Amino acid sequence: METAGNRIVGAYPSMSHPANQGKICVRGWHVHEVASSPDRLTSPLLRHNGHFQPVSWDEALGFVASRLGQIRDQYGPDTVAFLDSPRCSNEEAYLLQKLARTLIGTNNVDHGAGVYGNNSVNVLLDMIGVPASTNSIGELARSAVIIVDGVDLGRQLPTIGGWVIRARLNGARLIVIDSRRHRVAENADIFLQIKPGSESLLYGALAKVIVDRGLMDLPFVKARCEGCEAFLAGVQDYDLLQAAEGCGVPASLIEAAGLAYGRAPSAAILYSTGIEARDEDSIRGLINLALLTGNLGKEGAGVFPLAEHNNLQGVCDMGMLPDRLPGYQAVTDSKARAALEAVWRAKVPAQPGVGAETLFEAGGRKPLKALWLGRYDPVSTAFFGAPDQVLDRCELVVVQHLFMTDTTDYADVVLPTTAFGEERVTYTSTERRIQIAERVIAPPSGPMPAWEQLTRLARALGAQWNYQSSAEVMQEIGEVIPFYSGASHDNLTRDYGRQWPCTTDRPLGTAMLFADGELERPFKFVPLARPARPFGNPEDFPFTLVFGRSLYYWHQNALIRHSETLKREYRLLLLDYPEGFVEINPDDARRLDIRDGGRIRLTTPSGSLVSTARVTSEVRTGTAFVPYFVRQLKPELLGAMGQSRSLVPVRVEKEGA
Amino acid sequence: MKARIVASADVLKIVDLLRARGYEVVAPFCGRGRDSYFDTVTDENRPRVRIHLPNPYYPPKRFVFPHIERLMAVRAQNGDLKMEPTYDERPRAIFGIRSCDVAGLWHLDRFYLGRDFRDIYYEKRRKNLFLVNVVCTDPARDIGEDCFCLCADTGPAARDHFDLQLMDLGGGEFMAVAGTAAGEGLFAEPIFHKGTAAHLERRHAILDAVRKRFKTITSWFSATVRYVSQGTIPDKTWEEIGNRCLECGGCTYVCPACTCFTVSDRQVGPGEVERVRIWDSCALSGFTRMAGGFNPRRAVHDRRNRRFFRKLAYYFIQRELDMACVGCGRCAAVCHGDIGMPSVVEMIRRAEPEPAKK
Repeated sequence: METAGNRIVGAYPSMSHPANQGKICVRGWHVHEVASSPDRLTSPLLRHNGHFQPVSWDEALGFVASRLGQIRDQYGPDTVAFLDSPRCSNEEAYLLQKLARTLIGTNNVDHGAGVYGNNSVNVLLDMIGVPASTNSIGELARSAVIIVDGVDLGRQLPTIGGWVIRARLNGARLIVIDSRRHRVAENADIFLQIKPGSESLLYGALAKVIVDRGLMDLPFVKARCEGCEAFLAGVQDYDLLQAAEGCGVPASLIEAAGLAYGRAPSAAILYSTGIEARDEDSIRGLINLALLTGNLGKEGAGVFPLAEHNNLQGVCDMGMLPDRLPGYQAVTDSKARAALEAVWRAKVPAQPGVGAETLFEAGGRKPLKALWLGRYDPVSTAFFGAPDQVLDRCELVVVQHLFMTDTTDYADVVLPTTAFGEERVTYTSTERRIQIAERVIAPPSGPMPAWEQLTRLARALGAQWNYQSSAEVMQEIGEVIPFYSGASHDNLTRDYGRQWPCTTDRPLGTAMLFADGELERPFKFVPLARPARPFGNPEDFPFTLVFGRSLYYWHQNALIRHSETLKREYRLLLLDYPEGFVEINPDDARRLDIRDGGRIRLTTPSGSLVSTARVTSEVRTGTAFVPYFVRQLKPELLGAMGQSRSLVPVRVEKEGA
Repeated sequence: MKARIVASADVLKIVDLLRARGYEVVAPFCGRGRDSYFDTVTDENRPRVRIHLPNPYYPPKRFVFPHIERLMAVRAQNGDLKMEPTYDERPRAIFGIRSCDVAGLWHLDRFYLGRDFRDIYYEKRRKNLFLVNVVCTDPARDIGEDCFCLCADTGPAARDHFDLQLMDLGGGEFMAVAGTAAGEGLFAEPIFHKGTAAHLERRHAILDAVRKRFKTITSWFSATVRYVSQGTIPDKTWEEIGNRCLECGGCTYVCPACTCFTVSDRQVGPGEVERVRIWDSCALSGFTRMAGGFNPRRAVHDRRNRRFFRKLAYYFIQRELDMACVGCGRCAAVCHGDIGMPSVVEMIRRAEPEPAKK
């Protein structure tokens, strides 16, 4: 960070950082504009007769504490929920879930990306015992084969995209699996542009190729895995030609990909944890593949569940999950609860909580009375449920943020937080790297670090919280989460952070998991029944409708809106298509006589609507892609079908011919 | 040009002399790992100023052309608008600026001050700027993997556009060369002594030796300038280059010769707006998008080819008297997809050129 006086006036990366080597993304180059934005909130706001009025911290926190206490006592603890953004710091996330669990008595805690990220956490815990990337990003330079599945690295994670492209230039083979043709796909040796939703079928077929050609790593499977027999029996159900038809890609390409992966001395698989259409079986499928070929515990190999937010990994590690405590122990595990209760000297509720997706269901089951939102803006960023309606019905909505957002319209209290560079806190990256963000300038007068707000709120609720600094919070995190036990602020400042497990025995951290061959438990294969057909469209509805989130995520983001350059870049599509759009492939467009910018009608078995066509070769033929922010489209099209499915059969026609 | 000799032990006293003359002096410091950075010299950090170190990645162009700067404040007053420009006229000296970055500043000068319209914000900073150039003589510390100033003809020793140039002659001595009267004015100070013909010989010998220590010694710029100017580079090559661009804008932000900016107004209080100028980048698709929605450079490879056209085409060279590339190598280090200048020149050289267009 470049500072002048007490302002951040520039940002640039470190050439020596192991994960980025001085290469960052457009968001990073403009991060200074966000902190220096004149729109920053400067005082706590309390709603009075429908209008916000600036109040003192004591008044704001006192009000929140008394209302939270009343609601807890009157309606019960489970009518209160605490959600945060996967951009919150570790210290902040840890204290928030501790406050919810011990002072309110609810496990209703979740983060904004939980809807898409948590199934990846569960599958990874079940199969390999660790819900994180097994290897380091820098090892990609030494991978012989890299599979990139369902993530547009160029737009979402350019730093990792760069590692992949450079590895390819230096001789690695690149296999891209995606229904969208994105920038990194253009660089692929093998591009499997599969039909949406056919990933698990593809992974079954890849496993079949590897087994049939004798490319399994038998010593690895025998020594370190369990459940292989049942898995192998299941693999025999897959057929390459059928899979090729189901996935919509040539059998020869699937075979080539299977051979490349199976023969590679070390191969890595990168996938997104933020994918709308990603089912658990497709994640199981790719882990099975890594186990089958022994691609764990060796350099350049591994499985990378990529987190698209700076601290998605960290907020999960901290236990911002309705069913898991800090360190991923189940809340139903009485031993784990007892251990925590000993440190916290307070009761921890045994009943799993409710996550964001359920909380925001329109007309939710259990009435929600109070909601805490830590830097989370569900009204403009949640593509599920009806957060505006749910917030509207709450008796108390507390929002912590840097700026006013669409969500603050529903808030009773707004608490201004400090920005990146104004507080010393930690974040955990997608390669398990716990990093310290230094305070380079003093915060403007008014905002307070979120950890301090939570500490004062807890005291107002009657708890003896005495954290004097974020370092003390981190100290306690180390006591509670074994794999953070060595991650004191002091230790983290000595290098570019430490990768967990970072324990008192291993203070330097762990670049690669499973390297020493000693396992607490064997890796577990999970047999996957062959999907009958991944996605069968009735004749009347020949297209597949995909509701996409990831690519267009950024423009709604409250931080982006406060950077002049980013605002311009991420608004372009909305300027070009002000009423939203439906993307179709140029071949389909030609056949249907639809022009870019022309009117297009979509019809599903339960509804129909008209929108604007965006013709782009990025989408696969036979698919229609609707970005999630075109919010009203979803209920109109899905109607009685409900909102749970992200792939829907649809008919596409030119409108007004 | 006049030259003097200054003892190694005295060379940082030049920083003190400049500070005593009222300059804010920015100088390079070592950061973590192989990082280095420019920062304002204070009494506290003065002992840590370094002469030999990797050239800071974040270029010193920001001292005349900041990453973000307020141009003016606009206030509503008595039913009218009152505009107050914000000028930065502080005398500033950059100590330890490398030859490539000196050439970069000269390029900015040509752009911002060299034609009919003079940019007043730039001019106010620039005319109060004093440059102490340091010649890269230490192959281990000064010269990076990606440096190619030899090919861009800007280094390792700048020929002009500095006030004072320092070169380590070894043996506890530096040669100081004055490039301007202001630079020469310092020679009255007692730390400067007259040199001998032997000093000059040492200078030549060191430069001869250093020129052989660059890792990248050929960049085939001349062929590339010709192909770019004639428009004979195959589309396929541009597409290949475009497909490796992840649109981060980093190459333009670290480039000492990139001049582009955007201007935006933002509300800072009731009835008050500030106009800011921010670095912009041709890598971004909003850069060329017209108000009506048409974007002449919608495809990423069209934007990438724009960058290299702007830097290497004869039309611009004629206007600015030089290529807009100074061979610092930063774009090679910053790029995710390895399409910095040296790689692109190489890709273009290897491509089968299309027949020249008539």
